[in-house]
Amino acid sequence: MKNSLQPSPPKLFSHLYIERDVLDHPQSQMIRRKFADSQVILIDHYKEVFNRPSQSFAAQSHSKKLILARKEGKFLHEGSQYSDGFGHEQFFYASSVMGCLYDCDYCYLQGLYPSANTVLFVNLEDAFEQLRPYLGGDTLVATSYDTDTLAIESLTHQTSMWLDFADQYENLYLEIRTKSANIKSLKSITPNPRVTLAWTLSPQEIVDRYEHATPSLEKRLGAVAEAISLGWKVRLCIDPVIYTEKFAILYTELIEQIFRTIDPEAIEHLTLGSFRMSQSHLRSLKKLRRSDVAFYPYAVRDEMATYPEAIEEHILETLLAKTMQYLPKERIRTWQRQS
Amino acid sequence: MIYFITALDAEARPLCEYYRLKRDTSLPYTLYRNEEIVLAVSGMGRTNALMAVSALLGWRIPEEKDILINIGICGAPSDYRIGEALLIHQILDGDRRYYPDILYSHRLRETSMRCVDAPQSVLSDYPVDMESSPIFQAASRFFKLHQMAFLKIVSDHCTPELVTKEGVMELLRSHVNSVDALISSLSAVEKQPPFFSVDERKKIEVFKTHFTKSQGSALEDALTYFRLRNKGEFPPLNPLIPNSKRERSLLLEELIATLTA
Repeated sequence: MKNSLQPSPPKLFSHLYIERDVLDHPQSQMIRRKFADSQVILIDHYKEVFNRPSQSFAAQSHSKKLILARKEGKFLHEGSQYSDGFGHEQFFYASSVMGCLYDCDYCYLQGLYPSANTVLFVNLEDAFEQLRPYLGGDTLVATSYDTDTLAIESLTHQTSMWLDFADQYENLYLEIRTKSANIKSLKSITPNPRVTLAWTLSPQEIVDRYEHATPSLEKRLGAVAEAISLGWKVRLCIDPVIYTEKFAILYTELIEQIFRTIDPEAIEHLTLGSFRMSQSHLRSLKKLRRSDVAFYPYAVRDEMATYPEAIEEHILETLLAKTMQYLPKERIRTWQRQS
Repeated sequence: MIYFITALDAEARPLCEYYRLKRDTSLPYTLYRNEEIVLAVSGMGRTNALMAVSALLGWRIPEEKDILINIGICGAPSDYRIGEALLIHQILDGDRRYYPDILYSHRLRETSMRCVDAPQSVLSDYPVDMESSPIFQAASRFFKLHQMAFLKIVSDHCTPELVTKEGVMELLRSHVNSVDALISSLSAVEKQPPFFSVDERKKIEVFKTHFTKSQGSALEDALTYFRLRNKGEFPPLNPLIPNSKRERSLLLEELIATLTA
């Protein structure tokens, strides 16, 4: 090879793969205008790109492509045992995006999907139609469960659409979970008391090491403070906690830093939970060989990998004690394996 | 190793000159190679391409860092300039579609391409060739999608009767720099050095023979964890293995605890 210049990775979403059927959808047109320099490739079905064999999740993570598609079938799925339904009668998560702009080493999406690319289902109106029959009763929908919708809000406007929809149904509660610092889109919207913005927070050392392409802790805390000042209901999630040799120092400092910035009275809940993952997703994560998180000697029971019981208890006891210096116990939620 | 596949000898010659490739007689195909590159001339059409690529990659199975580039001429609609180099992002073959992953920046024009059965005298909607689809199908058994590229140079506007051997050589000669740049781009994507040195790997494999398969994979995980945490040299893999099964299990537990502490 005579030319040894190192080329740079292409810009985000350098390629737009668009299903023919949604080429004229208003959201597809808006995205095409926004990414006018990107290559547009017409496809029949998103799976012919997203589900290809021989993809490299790790290599694609540095050069994500966007696939625009129509969701066929169910947009809504029942909440899983790995997450908290906060006592609502019905708990669903909406799957309007596959893949995430962020690239966290501990994320189960790496084990769930064969591709690091993002699929955006543009027909969100169909999700609302599917949800309507349930809205006679108390219903929680997590809109950002399989992705971080707020991170791509400027591209999709899906959070705004969900908020507009939630305004119309008094039994509908939304949880919008994020690591994003982008709350620009929320500034023009009147806060809805049935909508909770939930920020995942980690010590900056953990952000640097495991949460690639995410905003810094400081920026996230800035967004939390701003959302509170705008009148939004906010939940904080120190979840998943990643156990390292400096775990106690890192996470107790995190809690101190949070409450130096945020008034505890302004927080609805704080959630604590240590890393857990289904055994099958963990196996897929190991195959990628990207991060030490996948290779810790977890305890596996009933197909779920968690830290060994003693470590899991140590994590929760340490963090619970620290959090209780700021919040009453009833406003702290913990995830722990049911024995 | 860099694998080049061309359909015609006229497409191969300029690359042989530029990269100083020498004839190799290891396979019943026209092969040229040097230390870094092996080039196979498949012959024209679907069956020839499929067989040649399968034979080449079966003969020398690619390693993780290897790449493959299919280089050749193509016919194209009139809005593609004669002599223009194209990087293919979608191969259309009847109802089937194939997508090489382009995970690098480049200066080439990207396009879809139709893979057809015979030289085309009627203008198609996209550029056309006769080998890209079978090459993709055979090579994607060996390569990840971002390790393959399809570089086509427009030779005619579906007037194949006007294409000459000298013309093809000239077109290829004028794009050796594009080939060079493409090699750099492809090679730069995801270069992950092996976790363990050859020596370390040998020691690990010997040590694992004293344990069950599942104990061996637990040890492998712990060693990978240790290496990914950048903790430097491994603790010594103790050559004094106890005879008792219970003591061996205890030894392994202690080692895993040390590695993952």
